[in-house]
Amino acid sequence: MNEQEWIIQELERLFETSQDYKQKALLQEAIDILKEQDLRKEQLQGELDGTLWSPGNWGV
Amino acid sequence: MRTLIIISHPDVDESSSQQFLLQSISHLSSDQVTVHLLEKTYPDGVIDFEKEQALLRLHDRILFQFPFYWYSSPPMLKKWQDEVLTDHFAFGYRGNKLEGKELGLVLSIGLAEKDYQAGGQEGFSISELTRPYQAVAKKTGMTYLKPLAVFQFPYKNEAEKMRLLIDYQQYVTLSKPDSLKYREEWLVKALAETSEETLPGENVAFVIDQVIERVEDNRMELDELRMHIDNYHD
Repeated sequence: MNEQEWIIQELERLFETSQDYKQKALLQEAIDILKEQDLRKEQLQGELDGTLWSPGNWGV
Repeated sequence: MRTLIIISHPDVDESSSQQFLLQSISHLSSDQVTVHLLEKTYPDGVIDFEKEQALLRLHDRILFQFPFYWYSSPPMLKKWQDEVLTDHFAFGYRGNKLEGKELGLVLSIGLAEKDYQAGGQEGFSISELTRPYQAVAKKTGMTYLKPLAVFQFPYKNEAEKMRLLIDYQQYVTLSKPDSLKYREEWLVKALAETSEETLPGENVAFVIDQVIERVEDNRMELDELRMHIDNYHD
């Protein structure tokens, strides 16, 4: 399990134990944002790899 | 930033969606938000336009919140527009009192989102049907915000309702409610302030700290990746 998965699992645990509705919503937002950040990192990494490997940029 | 929420609804106490939204922001201070219920303030329908104009001047973001009836608002909000957004105040000679403010809509809608498009059951998009409000913003020099449309509130499950709660809190308080970066900053602040009294169990403070750190580290990585890509294109 990587750090991101561990943190999301911990957030899910807190979500279950929280006794406050608005706090539960906030914890869910934290999970949503962490997942969104992960997805965007993957997309930007893909864009960077694509840019670096584009034959048009090899300059030969 | 101070937000004025102008609610027009024939029976706000009996509306589950309006009550849910109001409850979502009940913890916010009066420095941040003013909730203004038109039908309750003026049960006889006689609007004090000077008081309304003074209220508008005190706020930076103005939200019209109402059920979307026949592609428009309940009649009270239209009456309010007619009597409050007057010449020399909202437009015309020296009528620049709303310039630079923001105008947003919070719409509760009975049908599904998919119905509001060409070829859908309603045939027109929400952007098309809300043109008069966009024109009001343009004429008065206000920045029009992307509306917060609440489709079929009674059909939402708990997870969807919780997302609406957060979306609404952000729509009311956040300078750019649509931006991930701003949502992250909002989240970090809200997590730092969340009460541990309603979170029983061990290591709660440690986990919250770890979440905040992770969100901030992710942001640094995202900004670095973006910088590498931009540098390459320069």
